[in-house]
Amino acid sequence: MQTKETIVCRCEDITLDEIKALIEQGYRTIDEIKRVIRAGMGPCQGRTCRMMIAQELSKYYGIPVGEVLMPTFRPTVKPVKLGTFAGGE
Amino acid sequence: MLNKTGIPTAEDVKKVSPSEERLKKGPVAIIECFQEIPCNPCTEACKQGAIQPMADINNLPKLDFDKCNGCGLCLSRCPGLAIFIVDGSYSETEAIVRIPFEYLPVPKVGEKVAGLNRAGEELGSFEVVKVQSGGQKNKTYTISIVVPSDLAMDVRSIRLGGVRHAN
Amino acid sequence: MKEIEILIIGGGPAGLCAASAAANLGATVLVLERDGEPGGQLVKQTHKFFGSKKQYAGDRGYQIGNLLIEECKKNPNIEVWTDTTALGVYEDGVVTAERQGKHLKIEPKKIIVATGASEKMIAFPNNDLPGIYGAGAVQTLMNVHGIVPGQRVLMIGAGNIGLIVSYQLMQAGVEIAAIIEASPTIGGYLVHASKIRRAGVPILTSHTIVEAYGQESVEGAIICRLDENWQQIPGTEQDLNVDVICLAVGLSPLTELCFQADCQLKYIAELSGHVPIRNEYLETTRTDLYVAGDVSGVEEASSAMVEGRLAGISAAYSLGYGAGVAPQLQAEALAELSELRSGPAGQKTVKGIMKLMDKGEAVC
Repeated sequence: MQTKETIVCRCEDITLDEIKALIEQGYRTIDEIKRVIRAGMGPCQGRTCRMMIAQELSKYYGIPVGEVLMPTFRPTVKPVKLGTFAGGE
Repeated sequence: MLNKTGIPTAEDVKKVSPSEERLKKGPVAIIECFQEIPCNPCTEACKQGAIQPMADINNLPKLDFDKCNGCGLCLSRCPGLAIFIVDGSYSETEAIVRIPFEYLPVPKVGEKVAGLNRAGEELGSFEVVKVQSGGQKNKTYTISIVVPSDLAMDVRSIRLGGVRHAN
Repeated sequence: MKEIEILIIGGGPAGLCAASAAANLGATVLVLERDGEPGGQLVKQTHKFFGSKKQYAGDRGYQIGNLLIEECKKNPNIEVWTDTTALGVYEDGVVTAERQGKHLKIEPKKIIVATGASEKMIAFPNNDLPGIYGAGAVQTLMNVHGIVPGQRVLMIGAGNIGLIVSYQLMQAGVEIAAIIEASPTIGGYLVHASKIRRAGVPILTSHTIVEAYGQESVEGAIICRLDENWQQIPGTEQDLNVDVICLAVGLSPLTELCFQADCQLKYIAELSGHVPIRNEYLETTRTDLYVAGDVSGVEEASSAMVEGRLAGISAAYSLGYGAGVAPQLQAEALAELSELRSGPAGQKTVKGIMKLMDKGEAVC
């Protein structure tokens, strides 16, 4: 049997343990965690992991999940090839 | 409890059951709809005026057993597949239960199928006596099976041999 | 740069209804649809819909989808761009999109965001094994591509999606080992639950998945019971032999574009996540930007269609169309919404909208 892993960010292959370790180190927001470990920077742009990370932050800091600071949302909402930008309007 | 298991309790069923007397008289609809949800196609399907129009779309359907002639229009219209027709007048000892059916293959007349109760437990093997297509648009089949009279209010589903390829 | 009066982002039930409603009043509309065909989730819905005649109750979801698509095709005021994904909403109101490898700019007078929702994931050991799917993905596999995901499925979640997808799997000849639900009660419509139960599928409330296991792909799952505090009860584990685990654990509104557009959003659990604050007519705090459907709070498709219509009418009206009739049409749509939400099944939504609009009473 393989080692059991609980995946939070499927795009970047990041586990729940890795997220928890970062939170214990003092990272307090989804954006901070994203910058350190790339969670949410893959093809799905955080649609899978964002709220799972929010939940972990909410549990650790004892705040409602709705009060966890959301990351900054910027265009584009999905990865786009550079060639598309180069060839378009 | 229905909302924990999906199985209506005997009390739930009692609320929507006609009298023994009415069952013996001939086909009648049993509307096993126990939750107030926004839905009313049954009221519009009924041409007998037996299912009263709803003041609020969330109301439970109300069926007048005496006006109902068991035509089954509501059965094929119900989005929840929650309506059955029971004909207790079929013979001294047997009744016909009409069941909405949306699986493949569709059973054939004369075929024996397993009859299941509301919990999916097998109650016996019963003969299919009629198969009605819901048509191109509706697509829900109505399968009529003959069951012993005392099971008429229990058989609510059928299973065909070989319907599941995984076993 | 493409100029248009009303840009609708998303060609699902809300988007298509918004397009028809706005175009019928005379506005010119462009719909952006990420997929190759419009229709959104409707194209995968093989079950009959609830509601009333006004929301096509009794018809199957895909049939309703076809009807809405036909209506849009017939209307010369509506243009639908398929294979087109909106990428961003900018400060100056310009929307960018990718269409078949081309980067495009669109300058609309009004925007209706009808992007829908995405599937939630849950954390459990080995949750990345091949064979673990979202319920929506299973529907796409089966009902769009004609592929069954496996032989024996554990469904996680007894909301409407979990129940409906279980039923569709059974119709495709796939066995459902069990449907498990962490809550003490079934969340979906009980008629769906009863229909599945009487076919012999156990529905286990207050149950959760402990872990999935398998070498190369899913070979089984351990499930167990939960106590009143949602804690796993040791000794209640069951080992289920399944090759597919299907997650139907809820949806999150797809609000990235609303965040980008600087709409004010609020986290409302009853509406399934962060949703934009909007007025009765579905206009957000960013003037000229409306929302409709699951992006404004996850609900049934019937409400999404009515919300779409309401947003479409409101956007067109604000451009000067439908002067005599629009207020009446808006009132009708609002009445339909409150009718759909007035029963016990709609209470969660009503409560959520009350919280969102921060008012003591329901507005719609």
